[in-house]
Amino acid sequence: MSFRTFILILAASFGAPWLAIIVIPFFKMRALTPIALNQKADGATGIFFPKRTGRVADGARVYAENGCYLCHTQAVRPTYAGHDMHRSDWGGLKDDADRGDTRRETCADDFFGEKFAQIGVARTGPDLSNIGRRVETVYAAGGDPSAWLYAHLFNPRDLPQLWQSTCPPHKFLFEKCEIKGNPSADALKVPAGNNREWVPDADAKALVSYLLALKKDQKAPAALNFAPKSAEGNP
Amino acid sequence: MSSTTNTTDQDRQPLAGIDRSLRHPVMLFLTAGAAWLALAILLGVIASAKVHNPGFLSRHGWLTYGRVFPAHINALVYGWGMQAGFALILWLSARLSLNECKASGTILTAGLVWNLGVALGVTGILSGNGAGMPWMEFPGFVWPVLAASYMAIMIWPFIQFRVRPAGPVAITQWYVLGAMIWFPWIHITANVLLHCLPGHPVMAAGINAWHKSALVFLFFTPVALGVAYDLVANVTGRPASGTALANMGFWSLAIIAPWAGMQKLAGLPVPYFLPYVGAAATVLLFIPICAAASDLVRPLWAGRATLAAEPSVRFTAAGLISLVVLGVALMVLNIPDFTLRLTQFSLSGYGFDTLALYGFFSLVMFGAVYAIVPRVTGRGWYSSKLIEMHFLFSVYGLLTVMLVTLVGGVMQGLSQEDWKLAWPAVAAVANPFAVATTFAWCLILFSNIFFLVHLALMWLRWGCGGDSDAPPRKTGTPHDGVGHPEDAAAVSDSLVDPT
Repeated sequence: MSFRTFILILAASFGAPWLAIIVIPFFKMRALTPIALNQKADGATGIFFPKRTGRVADGARVYAENGCYLCHTQAVRPTYAGHDMHRSDWGGLKDDADRGDTRRETCADDFFGEKFAQIGVARTGPDLSNIGRRVETVYAAGGDPSAWLYAHLFNPRDLPQLWQSTCPPHKFLFEKCEIKGNPSADALKVPAGNNREWVPDADAKALVSYLLALKKDQKAPAALNFAPKSAEGNP
Repeated sequence: MSSTTNTTDQDRQPLAGIDRSLRHPVMLFLTAGAAWLALAILLGVIASAKVHNPGFLSRHGWLTYGRVFPAHINALVYGWGMQAGFALILWLSARLSLNECKASGTILTAGLVWNLGVALGVTGILSGNGAGMPWMEFPGFVWPVLAASYMAIMIWPFIQFRVRPAGPVAITQWYVLGAMIWFPWIHITANVLLHCLPGHPVMAAGINAWHKSALVFLFFTPVALGVAYDLVANVTGRPASGTALANMGFWSLAIIAPWAGMQKLAGLPVPYFLPYVGAAATVLLFIPICAAASDLVRPLWAGRATLAAEPSVRFTAAGLISLVVLGVALMVLNIPDFTLRLTQFSLSGYGFDTLALYGFFSLVMFGAVYAIVPRVTGRGWYSSKLIEMHFLFSVYGLLTVMLVTLVGGVMQGLSQEDWKLAWPAVAAVANPFAVATTFAWCLILFSNIFFLVHLALMWLRWGCGGDSDAPPRKTGTPHDGVGHPEDAAAVSDSLVDPT
């Protein structure tokens, strides 16, 4: 085989998939058409746009830099690809007081505001697609969700119900400060010594704001619904 | 050089010159690579220990799991893997095209720039400036540095191929040439699309998954297969131009591998065909793997009586067995709607990476190192005991990794899928396997300390001289396109004072 033939076949065998699964989908995906809501099926008009609050870009950076994606996924797969939807609080809440069963699969708009979707590497820990929802309504029910997350990040095993957790402590995201006047509102309840307190640093604040904003359970439009028609309305 | 023909007598002198011209570039990449390998494995041990013992070394941010693990994998890929690849590509290209390396100054400089890039990248990850994309965690400024130094290094073997003497092209050269072209294409595509152009975040994750798969199957795999083909041709005397099976192995790899990788996104909001195409290609990778491995193992098996004692043959054979295990595991554990759901987010992924990068690629590289370093430095290996230890601990480490991948990953996946099982119980299933992984990395670390020390001794030329009581023929495999054990001594003898 001549060098020329070799290069031509090599370019074709690599170029075809390069175009078909990388370049064309990349440019198609970045110009996704928003999904129009249907008055009859969705009970609303306009376009589907899951709102996100909090410091999304900032917090996603801290999430990425500290490798949270190595142990936590943000991927709720349809049942043909996995049983994530069956877990009672991964895809949403099974029994939300106001909205009933809010569980749904991850959709393309859920990562709005992030450069890279942290779908995750492995599930050493639980899925975080709806961690904000879960902290607010389950873990820290009636309490301060940020305080719960700060305490969890400081040392995951301090919380009695999580004694088995293998999540590493993130004490480096907290600073030990002298108390001047009143204690800080964000200060941890962990003792820090005489007249001192542990307070979250800027990265910890951004991360907690990002985690609390992870609530990917808004009602998805009917066009994205994986449930077969006959199953609608059933739990 | 161009007047050289393929006869033994005429080959010997030019080959000695080629070896001499390659000494510093090849040894820089191998020794720096081995140092990165030792560091990567050390980081791997620390990271792995943290999985089952999260309080271990957790006081400082730079030692947190989420930074140590990416530093480990990136040092392994870019510090060791790529540099071992460079060394072998330079060596094979010069030897097979019978051209001396005339740009060792440029290559050494570019090699130092590469190492600087990797050092900055690893420091960036540990200091908390990582990019947070698996296998691409180096801070955004590092990839152009790597791309530029890659070009400065790899342009030379490319030129050597173009000016080679007329004659049949060895299958090794096709593999190496393919890897040389695929790597920059993959590296630049993935980094430009992820760092420079705004895209959809989920598609970015897909490109990232493809990048990892493509790096394994279109750089590390072809380089290692090329090296293995060359070694087999030399130790068994089989023609290097390749059989029909060899050609089928190469072209099926070239056609199938670029489609693989996106099965990581099964069930996620990307165009539905992408994960299915990725899974199909990953399953079909068994074809090139099987073709190449069977083509390579058969002659080795036929000559096992005389070859079994050669360390380079043992490493290569063990590497090829790992490749077959990897091929079977990929085929069985990536079936959409069936086994993929068990391995998509379990320990298996890391097991596949370890099998590919260490079990296959690195073992084949070690085999080649044991064969060529005596040629390049003109010294025999200091101790065959050290080589033996390196081999045994690596193999025991790998057997543990295989166990973790195949049993642990699937068990973890099964418990993840059992939604009635509370999450803490699911997480606990992985714990014993995490302990096994730490054990495996400890064995591998232990084995590679022997390797690094041995290699450094060789570069410093403290190994045994060609005519001492431990000549190269005892521990190094003849590897010069000639195939005579005596030739090793002849080459060493001719290197009176290369500096």
